[in-house]
Amino acid sequence: MVKQEKEFVNRPDNTAFTQQRLPAWQPMLSAGIIIPGFVLIGLAFIGIGVALFVTSQSIQVLEVDYTGVEQSSPCFKCSDPDVKNCVCKMEFNIDSLFKGPVFFYYGLSNYFQNYRGYGVSKDPNQLSGDLDSFKVPSDSCAPYEYVGKTPIVPCGSVANSMFNDSFKLYQIVSGAKIQVTLDGKGIAWWTDYNVKYRNPSVTPLKNAFNGTVKPTFWSKPAYELDPTDPANNGFINQDFLVWMRRAALPNFRKLYRRITEGDYAKGLPAGNYSLEIAYNYPVLSFDGRKKNEFLGIAYLVIGSMCVVMSIVMLIVYAKFKFPEEE
Amino acid sequence: MVLVKSLIVSCHCRIPEISSANLLTPFNILQVQVRCIGNTGCDTGAFTWEKERGGAGDMLHQHKDKENGGARMKQKPTSLHNVMAMEIFESGLSWEVRANSRHYHKHKQKKSFLCFHWGRYADNVVHSYKYSPLTFLPLTLFEQFQRVANLYFLLMLVMQCIPAISSVPWYITIIPLVTVLSVRGLKDLVNDMARRRSDFEVNSRPCDILVSQSFDSAQWKDLCVGDVLRIHKDQVIPADLLLLCSSEPHSLCYVETADIDGETNLKYRQALSATHTQLTSQPSDETLAAFDGLLLCEEPNNSLYTFRGELHWQGECHPLDHAHVLLRGTVLRNTAFAYGVAIYTGADTKILRNCGKQRVKTTQVEKVFNRVVIGIVLSVLLVALLHAILSGVFSSQVMGNADISSTVVVNANPVYTGFLTFWSYIILLSPAMPIALYISFELIHTVHSQFIGWDMEMYWQPAGRPAQARNTSLNEELGQVGYLLSDKTGTLTQNRLVLRQCCIAGEIYGDASVRAEDVEPMDLSWNPFSCGGLHMSAPSLVEKLRGQQCPPSRQFLTALSLCHTVVTEWKEEALFYQSASPDEETLVGAARELGWVFLSRARDFISVSELGVTRQYQLLALLDFTSKRRRMSVLVREPEGGLKLYCKGADIVILERLHKDLQYQERTERALELFSQACLRTLCVAVRSVPEASWEQWRKTLAQSAAMATCDRDALLEKLYDQMERELQLLGVTAIEDRLQEGVPETIALLQQAGLKVWVLTGDKKETAVNIGYSCKLLDPDTRLLEWQELRQILQAPDPGVSFFKARQMELWAVDKKMAGAKTAVVLTGPELAEFDQRPEWGSTFMSLAEHCQSVLCCRVTPGQKADIVKLVRKHTSSVTMAIGDGANDVNMIKTAHVGVGMAGVEGGQAVQNADFALSQFRFLQRLLLIHGRWSYRRISLFLRYFLFKTCGFALVHIWFGFFNGFSALSMYETWFIALYTVLYSSFPVMCLGFFEKDVSAESSLSWPELYKSGQRQELSSPLILALSLLYAVYSSLVLFFIPFGVFYDTALDYQTMAFTVAMAATFTATIEIMLLTRNWTKINIAAVCVSVVLFFIGTGITHSTVLFKKAPADYIFIGVLAKAFVDPVVWLTALLTAWTAVLPSFTAHAVNITLTVHDKQKVHSISPQPVELKSTFRRGTSLRRSPNALF
Repeated sequence: MVKQEKEFVNRPDNTAFTQQRLPAWQPMLSAGIIIPGFVLIGLAFIGIGVALFVTSQSIQVLEVDYTGVEQSSPCFKCSDPDVKNCVCKMEFNIDSLFKGPVFFYYGLSNYFQNYRGYGVSKDPNQLSGDLDSFKVPSDSCAPYEYVGKTPIVPCGSVANSMFNDSFKLYQIVSGAKIQVTLDGKGIAWWTDYNVKYRNPSVTPLKNAFNGTVKPTFWSKPAYELDPTDPANNGFINQDFLVWMRRAALPNFRKLYRRITEGDYAKGLPAGNYSLEIAYNYPVLSFDGRKKNEFLGIAYLVIGSMCVVMSIVMLIVYAKFKFPEEE
Repeated sequence: MVLVKSLIVSCHCRIPEISSANLLTPFNILQVQVRCIGNTGCDTGAFTWEKERGGAGDMLHQHKDKENGGARMKQKPTSLHNVMAMEIFESGLSWEVRANSRHYHKHKQKKSFLCFHWGRYADNVVHSYKYSPLTFLPLTLFEQFQRVANLYFLLMLVMQCIPAISSVPWYITIIPLVTVLSVRGLKDLVNDMARRRSDFEVNSRPCDILVSQSFDSAQWKDLCVGDVLRIHKDQVIPADLLLLCSSEPHSLCYVETADIDGETNLKYRQALSATHTQLTSQPSDETLAAFDGLLLCEEPNNSLYTFRGELHWQGECHPLDHAHVLLRGTVLRNTAFAYGVAIYTGADTKILRNCGKQRVKTTQVEKVFNRVVIGIVLSVLLVALLHAILSGVFSSQVMGNADISSTVVVNANPVYTGFLTFWSYIILLSPAMPIALYISFELIHTVHSQFIGWDMEMYWQPAGRPAQARNTSLNEELGQVGYLLSDKTGTLTQNRLVLRQCCIAGEIYGDASVRAEDVEPMDLSWNPFSCGGLHMSAPSLVEKLRGQQCPPSRQFLTALSLCHTVVTEWKEEALFYQSASPDEETLVGAARELGWVFLSRARDFISVSELGVTRQYQLLALLDFTSKRRRMSVLVREPEGGLKLYCKGADIVILERLHKDLQYQERTERALELFSQACLRTLCVAVRSVPEASWEQWRKTLAQSAAMATCDRDALLEKLYDQMERELQLLGVTAIEDRLQEGVPETIALLQQAGLKVWVLTGDKKETAVNIGYSCKLLDPDTRLLEWQELRQILQAPDPGVSFFKARQMELWAVDKKMAGAKTAVVLTGPELAEFDQRPEWGSTFMSLAEHCQSVLCCRVTPGQKADIVKLVRKHTSSVTMAIGDGANDVNMIKTAHVGVGMAGVEGGQAVQNADFALSQFRFLQRLLLIHGRWSYRRISLFLRYFLFKTCGFALVHIWFGFFNGFSALSMYETWFIALYTVLYSSFPVMCLGFFEKDVSAESSLSWPELYKSGQRQELSSPLILALSLLYAVYSSLVLFFIPFGVFYDTALDYQTMAFTVAMAATFTATIEIMLLTRNWTKINIAAVCVSVVLFFIGTGITHSTVLFKKAPADYIFIGVLAKAFVDPVVWLTALLTAWTAVLPSFTAHAVNITLTVHDKQKVHSISPQPVELKSTFRRGTSLRRSPNALF
């Protein structure tokens, strides 16, 4: 026994791992699997593409450009930055019923909300209700950190540049204007509203802002953003939250309101409408764009490519496999 | 070449008492020793100073130099000290050693503190470890930051700490960097601990040191310069010693130098006669303790074969050379005791001075990849610069607009903005430079090396030795070897010689067609000296011998037992032979088995027991072996009184010196032919009766000529020897098998099929090398041998290529129709190769010719030339070279080749010590190259390509995003994703690919050696392939950005959702791509793929969680994104489409590949392996016989 052990001194272990003999599956792919597989994947993509395309077609979109670049535009007078408290009206017509729920977006073009320096220009601690950061905002907010020696709350570029146009929508029924109720609740992310942004636990809220100033661009302080609903003020104001969630690309839209209540909950009936805009936000350029059909089309393209490729492959394969028959 | 003065004493000696000559071993062949002992004639000996060439590595020359036997040179006693000072100045003998004065040397011992060193003499402690607890951290960090990649990432880290440019937080880089540094540091630490242990083991070996009148047992580390030591038999010598005296007569002693030069034969060392006579007259410790000689010698150096010094003792000056010195690392043999005084200790010893640093070898793949990485870094710099400029332009444009959007550009100055953006982009794009790659690379290499060690089929059971990967970073190189340069003795052959056949008086005994192991052992129980080991069955011969029937056979055996230089040794009541030449040992051993037992060798007598009767032959002269003479003879006086000359040597030499009328010549020549066809080494044995008168005259002439000047003397001696060795009577022929190692022909055939060029480089003679070439299938029977003269003509021709092909079809070959399609092999010898030094332009021509040749055999090459051949191949081809050898003479070439393999064999461990891989058998190369090498190459190439793809594809997205975020270096990903993507989300499957991937099984790899060629052609790792991977990565980064861009453009979806979508698409892309690459799905592969995807969602879920956000709101700003995106079909559909489109080219390429190629691997699986043709063919006899002579 001892001798036998001695004979195998230093002998490597005979296991599947050390001998590289782990049981393994080696998929043997052949043209017979690959080509039909390609076709199937292609067809699946086309299917998804068609579904997406149809869905996007069924979405009704109406865009109204109120930038006011053209002189004919009702908002032209407001496009001059020197004009304050300008209100303009855009009239438009709906041919058929807009099925509810109708979403009301505002859109900006060539607006680099995704500029890195812009994005970091805020104080997360301040926005989560830390009173210490009210007094001494983070350096990242510069140059929107202090006015003189008084700290700005909420500080930073993002907050400072908050979109502040406001809209009212009227349906014109035989010359009379009927206001369409716009619902501003629940347009922000749940986590933003409940976790990420917190007001300091001081009542009334106004006291928390003692010794601070509002952002230079704002007309109202943070605690007075929504005079109609006291709970919709401070950092958890829905419009503020929507704005603070930065857009991915320079052309973007943000949800403004939803039409979910009252007479218009089922949709906007055909007819004439008037949009009353409190024009505050100094933006110049705006390109109108159609609804987004990109994803559906992309699926269609890629799916078709797969199918075409598989056909090409099939032809090549046939030629290659049976050359002697020709 | 260093010119060193040394003393050659040529003695006018009547009887050369012990003379050793080596037959046929590669490097000992020229070693000749003429030793003069006794007083006769020596006092009148002429002293000649001769310049002698020396230099490490040039062993052949070294052995040519005659060793100095009984040098004694007495100078007139002078006023010693006056002269000494001058001598030191003049001769450079500045190393002073005082025997037995420990405090003198101790005082001057080398010491060091921090970086200050002082003192002169090194202590005998080996420090090969690098770190101490205090220095580990700084040293390891210093070493690691010498690697550019680590330094680069440290720089990134520093930059990330600057808020103005920090596009990614600092902790993103520190996680991988710290991991890399600590893994590497730990590995170094473990290695260092191992070194510490082995140092401790060496330093605490025992030795006997003379301390005040008696020898005390001490340890090596206690030894100090000037100490007198006693070395026991078989003890390793602890320092370089001057031999004072030994237990043997004349203070001779024998050392084995296997650890220094790999030669296992014994070397003689002899003490000065002065120390010998005075110290052994009253052999006691007191006389040694009283020894107060002063040694002056040269400064410590690394030359193993030279030594200069003087011993000043008792008012006399004795010159010393290397024959008086016992080197550290050699082993005392056949000598009971030897006494010596330590000259050099520890780091000053010759062997430690020779321990050069292992050259760092990097593989081809790594080199290509490093270039690609440099390319990536440059592109990153370029892109960063471009974006920096554009960012400056952008910010200046925005500044022009005095509206709200100018608030986004916080910094006023466009140039400053651009400057900051530049650094930000460098940080942001740094993940494109894969830091994790280097550590994963190392890990995969380590595992591959382990696989080599773990392979049961490369485990050599008789020695209990598994294969060993000593260098763990060359694995993939094993899959690309184009040239295999092999040593012969001990590598292709076992270096175990066996007498297989003999021919006595025209009668052939033994049968070589039976394998040596299968030979039925003869009944030799009648012979008390028999100890087995005769692989020849010839009962008829034994019968004849015992029956006293055949006088020639008895004489034949007498010749074998007398004509040699073997030394005997009694160990445990058994007789052992030791010889400088294995051939002689074999022959003497065989004679002993057959009843002619060589018992002992005294000064001028040889005792032989012939069938139990002990006879004493008086040894009159020994005409030693040289490579030029190719024979040796002994002249003896028989007990009956007659004079006999026994001679043995190469067939050509002996046959032309035979007596005219011969009975058996024809039959013997036929036997010779037969033997060489069976690839046996042959030696002819002959005898001559010498008349007393002619001996007397010859002796006188010899005495005269010995007194002459060296150059004339050699020629004269040769002539004189020639006179004696003539009119010989042929006794017979011995046929020795230099047994090939198991599986050598199969291995060589397989490797040649795999596209490897196998070259043999040997110190052996041409005939032997060619013979071995045939027997191991390196040369085919119809292979044409192209020798130097012809080759030279071709090389000198204006258009070598044309004349080469012309020569192939030339008359010789055109005549013989069978030879028309013959293959060619080049046979070169060392001196011929030396011509290449003068004609460097021949190198490339030669290599282009050699490419068309089946093989190249280089014979009689020195270790230095072996390395030169490797260099030649490396210089003129782009192929990977592999050198394999077993002896110290191969060390040089092993170090020079891309990959060095050491055979752990009979010879010392030098080759293995310096090799990258150690094998026990030549045939293990099959598995090492065709299986481990091929797999490693494939795995590592795929690994690198995939790594490049996944990191670049992922990082380059930022370039495209830059165009749509005002070139502001905003990250497209959540910062945590960047950190975790390389470490967690995409690393496991690729590691599994690196560990387990195989395209075909081990068995198929061996039966389809052609598959190996893809590695030689660099099919998987060429710069083009890597560039394509890079291009593919760029494509996928475009897809990764622009499809989500199209979807998210002008929508209400926010930046964070897009970041998550792109991240998910990137993870999916990486996962699908690795699934496409993996062909061998073990459970671990499947688990790794699943775990990666699951980890992505878990990891993202954690970093998007409320809990973490509450702890650090600034670091976990992606709170809630996963929950929101998870239920959004747009995100999923976008990610799916993006991932699919990103891998579409790869998928299509795979599909096209499958559709178009006739399935190699399916073929491999379906067709059974063909056995390698192994039948030995005897047709080649004709061409072989012709080769050395007839060709010219």
